[in-house]
Amino acid sequence: MMSAEFRLFNISKRYGQREVLNIDNLEIGGGRIYCILGPNGAGKTTLFRIMSLLTINDTGKLNVLGDEVTWQKNQVVRLRRKMAMVTQTSFMFEGSVYYNVAYGLRVRNTPAAEEKRIVNESLELLGMMDFINQPARNLSGGERQKVAIARALAVKPRVLFLDEPTSNIDPASALDIERYIQYINKEMGTTIIMVTHNLFQARRLSEEIFFMWEGKIIEKGETQNLFENARDKRTRSFLIGETVF
Amino acid sequence: MDVIWQGLKEGFLLIIAMDPEIVQITLLSIQVSVSALLLAAIIGIPLGTVLALKEFPGRKALLNITYTFMGLPPVLAGLLVFLFLSTSGPLGYFQLMFTPTAMIIAQVLLGFPIVCGLTARAVMAQPQEVFDTAATLGATRRQASWAIIRESRMGIIAALTTALGRLIAEVGAVMMVGGNIKGETRVLTTSIVLETRMGNDSAALAIGMVLLLIAFLIMLLILTLEKRTFNDERRIQII
Repeated sequence: MMSAEFRLFNISKRYGQREVLNIDNLEIGGGRIYCILGPNGAGKTTLFRIMSLLTINDTGKLNVLGDEVTWQKNQVVRLRRKMAMVTQTSFMFEGSVYYNVAYGLRVRNTPAAEEKRIVNESLELLGMMDFINQPARNLSGGERQKVAIARALAVKPRVLFLDEPTSNIDPASALDIERYIQYINKEMGTTIIMVTHNLFQARRLSEEIFFMWEGKIIEKGETQNLFENARDKRTRSFLIGETVF
Repeated sequence: MDVIWQGLKEGFLLIIAMDPEIVQITLLSIQVSVSALLLAAIIGIPLGTVLALKEFPGRKALLNITYTFMGLPPVLAGLLVFLFLSTSGPLGYFQLMFTPTAMIIAQVLLGFPIVCGLTARAVMAQPQEVFDTAATLGATRRQASWAIIRESRMGIIAALTTALGRLIAEVGAVMMVGGNIKGETRVLTTSIVLETRMGNDSAALAIGMVLLLIAFLIMLLILTLEKRTFNDERRIQII
């Protein structure tokens, strides 16, 4: 059987009367850049939150990194420690850039010298060493996003979730971040699962796409193939930019 | 107008002269109110955090009770403590009535709902992103909760300053359970009441000045600590 980082079987989630997610069967392998596409309200964020163990599914079986998720406290923390997430807004804790990047290491009780080395290494990789002592909340959108990526990388995740990582930043910074994403995937072997509304970015970065519509994954496939030969009319319409949101 | 002027002059002289009785009264005021604040903080901050973060039956009712008790009249707080500590009360055995300990207990009763209620508000005002960020970086529930408290600390310090303002200035509770005994339970506020009743308005005003100065110095200390903690804080600029 093919090894998969995530296996979802009959996973559903409701908010009140509204079913926002209903996944029959989904497997996400490892080592690649995966992209979840779909219009607003398609259930992308809910799927993301369930896979990153931030939201509990109502029904179904969830297998994360080889573990059947029971939502037992210790298991959740153990699994979360193999993953990291960068959100659209890149929330920064009050404090310096150093404090923010060191946070994930501190909760793991990393020795101080090791912590300093890893923080420096992560910030250097993202070209943010000059900002190390600056208040993180004073940074621009692009700078924050880079710090958020450095913060996620510091904990050496096996899987990195990126929720619209370049939606609030200028094109130059966005390209910079795309380069880092590719580097992290290719050089560090980190599996990357991202949500984006930017079709060009999805095409440039991802190797496999999952297309969502009204809480379901209606089509999936290799990026190039899906862009050129999507079978579902809704996917085709979305990928050529016809779908109005 | 003469009384006010005379009072200000006397107050200034009292501060300069360091009158032993005034010094003793001032130190007791600080001891009672700061001890009560510390105890209110030790109980109120964790409880406020739990009320804000934990979902359990009766949580809303507890929050509403806390908010109601934030406006607890000092005399009522004093009366409750009196009923418990008086010789016929359930805790009369400890003989705490008319001691600084009884005054501290009464002030804890006043300060605790303020610290607890405002801490809960400050924690509830934090966005979901604080927990999400901490959790996705590998924090346990306890560590993530601590991150939320850390992010709320400006609001928590505001809770402490508000409570201290109420405690240092209240008179009803300490009068009722302390008795305003000279050299034992007399504090600045009860001295003001005493001097006013005796017709020494300018002396009362002078002690009031000392009280204001103490309140100012304690607040200054808290604000200095706050500035040190939040020197990286962005402020809204209105142009």
